[in-house]
Amino acid sequence: MTAARDEILQALRNNRPTPENHPLPPVATLGDLDASRERFITSLKILGGDVLEPVEGETLDQAILRRHPDAKVICSNVPEAKGTLPVEKVKTPQDAATIDVTVVRSPFGIAEMGSIFLSEAELPINSFAHLGQHIVVLLSVDQLTANMHTAYQERPEFKTANYGVLMSGPSATADIQGVLIRGAQGVRSLSVWFT
Amino acid sequence: MKIGLFIPCYIDAFYPDAGIATLELLEKLGQDVEYPLDQTCCGQPMGNSGCNSDAAAAEALFVRNFAKYDKIVMPSGSCTHHVRDNFDAIPQTDEVRHVRENTYELVEFLHDILKVDAFPWAEFNHTVGLHNSCGTLRALRTASMSELGEKPFSKPMDLLSKVKGIRFATPRRPDECCGFGGTFSVTEEAVSARMGVDKVRDHHQAGAEYIVSADSSCIMHQQGCAERAGVPIRFIHIAQILNGAAQ
Amino acid sequence: MSNKPVNHAKAAEHFLEDAPHLQFHDERLWDMRQKRDAQMHILPEWQELREEASRIKEHTLSRLPEYLEQFETNAKKNGIHVHWARDGAEHNRIVGEILKAHNARNLIKSKSMVTEECDMRPYLAKQGVTVTETDLGERIQQLDDQLPSHIVVPAVHKLTADVAKIFAKDYHTDPNIRDPHLLAEAQRQAARPVILHADAGMTGGNFVVAETGTFVVCTNEGNADLSATVPNLHIATIGIERLVPRMADMGVFIRLLSRSALGSPITQYTTHFRGPQKGGEMHVVLVDNGRSARLGMEDFWTSLKCIRCGACMNTCPVYRRSGGLSYGAVYSGPIGAIIDPTFNERKYSTLPYASTLNGSCTNVCPVKINIHEQLYKWRRVLVQHHEMPFVKREIMHMAGKLMGQPKMYRAAIKATEVSLSTMPRFVLYNWLNPWGKHRENPHPVKQTFNDWYRKNRETAKPAAAPETKK
Repeated sequence: MTAARDEILQALRNNRPTPENHPLPPVATLGDLDASRERFITSLKILGGDVLEPVEGETLDQAILRRHPDAKVICSNVPEAKGTLPVEKVKTPQDAATIDVTVVRSPFGIAEMGSIFLSEAELPINSFAHLGQHIVVLLSVDQLTANMHTAYQERPEFKTANYGVLMSGPSATADIQGVLIRGAQGVRSLSVWFT
Repeated sequence: MKIGLFIPCYIDAFYPDAGIATLELLEKLGQDVEYPLDQTCCGQPMGNSGCNSDAAAAEALFVRNFAKYDKIVMPSGSCTHHVRDNFDAIPQTDEVRHVRENTYELVEFLHDILKVDAFPWAEFNHTVGLHNSCGTLRALRTASMSELGEKPFSKPMDLLSKVKGIRFATPRRPDECCGFGGTFSVTEEAVSARMGVDKVRDHHQAGAEYIVSADSSCIMHQQGCAERAGVPIRFIHIAQILNGAAQ
Repeated sequence: MSNKPVNHAKAAEHFLEDAPHLQFHDERLWDMRQKRDAQMHILPEWQELREEASRIKEHTLSRLPEYLEQFETNAKKNGIHVHWARDGAEHNRIVGEILKAHNARNLIKSKSMVTEECDMRPYLAKQGVTVTETDLGERIQQLDDQLPSHIVVPAVHKLTADVAKIFAKDYHTDPNIRDPHLLAEAQRQAARPVILHADAGMTGGNFVVAETGTFVVCTNEGNADLSATVPNLHIATIGIERLVPRMADMGVFIRLLSRSALGSPITQYTTHFRGPQKGGEMHVVLVDNGRSARLGMEDFWTSLKCIRCGACMNTCPVYRRSGGLSYGAVYSGPIGAIIDPTFNERKYSTLPYASTLNGSCTNVCPVKINIHEQLYKWRRVLVQHHEMPFVKREIMHMAGKLMGQPKMYRAAIKATEVSLSTMPRFVLYNWLNPWGKHRENPHPVKQTFNDWYRKNRETAKPAAAPETKK
């Protein structure tokens, strides 16, 4: 395959515009730099996510059941929630596909977008984040970054994780006559539990 | 300042009143205007269809007609756009450059060069919808463009607002193209006509009695669409209103 | 494949005949444009972002060989297998070989315009590989055996009833379903087992980061994540122009992409793949397929900046009223009309004419591609390369000649007036006269401006210009 590689690179060298005319601009940090919880929540709701607000004296397990009363299989990868299915038992995507509610912790969120980040560090298997019907994400308020610029500049995870997904609300589609539907192929809902 | 008046082919043949209004208006404003009799076309139809070399004769004639004037004024955004931005079928001599740099669409000439602040003779007791041609809007930039989110401004609106009695209606899609597009109106006639009908309906539903524009080519197309579809709306060139049309 | 020029005008005419589809299509895409505008108004830095994105992309394209090599080095370090394909055939062969080596028979894939370019599905079908699209819109198009009509919303030209009919055939659902929720659920239920039992997954790549050896995939359905994380084998097909130098540059592009495309701040899923998952294998196929040649086209190389947001389609009044399929090409709309001729100049010679040159596309483009100016320039190139129908070329040639000769021109104007006032309607409005098909002709006038001027301003008569020499 090196023939193809060399041929492509050579053609690009021959054909490219003069590099000196196109300097690389410095990294941009533009826009609103508010990293507040309020901004994060507003953005999260625009994208169809929600906050799971604790009721006085309630444990996380109880709150999850309040939000998802029909859930039978709850699988938690965080010490804050017990769930019903021990996470050690989830070894394959087939295992993950039986889950009603997945519970994970995100290392950071982005206020501009209401996005939470997940990588292999937070997941027993990568598909764990997507095959359950619903997801509850634990997020620490002091791990919010303002916007996409600050996120990419500040968070080392983008350069270290093999698999890193920013989830901004649940899976969604508007492919049939423009009607917005939450829960297309991945999770049907995404709730954030602040810690 | 000696002004050469260019009257585009479709105004000459189908909308002479718009040409007359342009001339009279410039004269009322005290301008020294001449109309070279042997003018034809700016070359735009050939240029726009890709047949640029075929625009050479028209462009050469245009330069011969207009090189001697300080400013060249025309009641057409798309022709101005061609002369200013795409007029390169002929060698770019000093004469050609002079012509290209001193060609103005009527509205921008009134607004930017003459800075006219009143049309005391003009009164128009109707609700009008303004149609900015894509040539005036996105090439000459005589008004703000909705895609750019820039601070709203409109040179034609500034001028029209000085006319007594005039009222404005705003369509839902104020700067959507009307579908004329030169030869597009014939080669893609179905899409072109549909765009035209949508455009005139939009203005009509907004309450406009008249569609006013600085481009007669768009008017010619929209008028044809409105008449066929039975949309009761009238058309007028901006020069006619500013010149004091008594309609 | 046929080399005959696409008849966009005819296909568009056909599209226009169906009022409900036309109306929905126009309104839906206009709504996306409006939502894009709303996002723009929220961000005072919008124009700065566009400028930044454009400059980063132009810089990257000018140093593409270096950045591709940097990406390759880093990706390999992370454990990614990197392949290079000069064209679609080579790409398909590479993918076929990877699948064969793993004895993979069932491939799930998320949307990728490059695989459409390469016409990959039929190739793999012949190898005995079943390909299942996991994006809802793309799946609908696959089941209906059509190209995507829009690069972001592939089935936007269809109504719920159309989808119900297609799903009834393949998913055995009720053909009378009119609730999109039920149809989307049917897709979810049908897709899950296929996803869970797939041997391999395939994605495209919206961005490639040279600095880290990462590629980034943006979807709303999360189907790319499912396709990439459920099977152990992940193949990504990516055009070589998709690079950005630094991870930090992604901030600019992610902020622009979905806002420009759908008017939502970000896609629901923005996924960064830097290496294979535990126990998995990851391949990246870098596809040229005409891109390196396009980079050498002085007037058209900046079309390689495109991030495939589809904003130019949404705003295009012609696209909204003709539908993506009328372009007869993988890429439709304004961006398609400037890219497609680089694949096949004759076949797509009509597409740069499927535009009024209104310029709205250029204004919405998040990476500032001068689309309408490139459409204009393509027309010149096509005429120079004799890719314009003879009749049209001759008309322009004769018109050009006439416009240089004022006396003959005046005579011709007179003839037009006569014909407009005396010719019977059926002659004017026959098929030879497309203007009059859906429009009235301009009204004849008593005298031209020229005649009026001669009568009323003779004293001001300037010296006549000399006649053109023949």
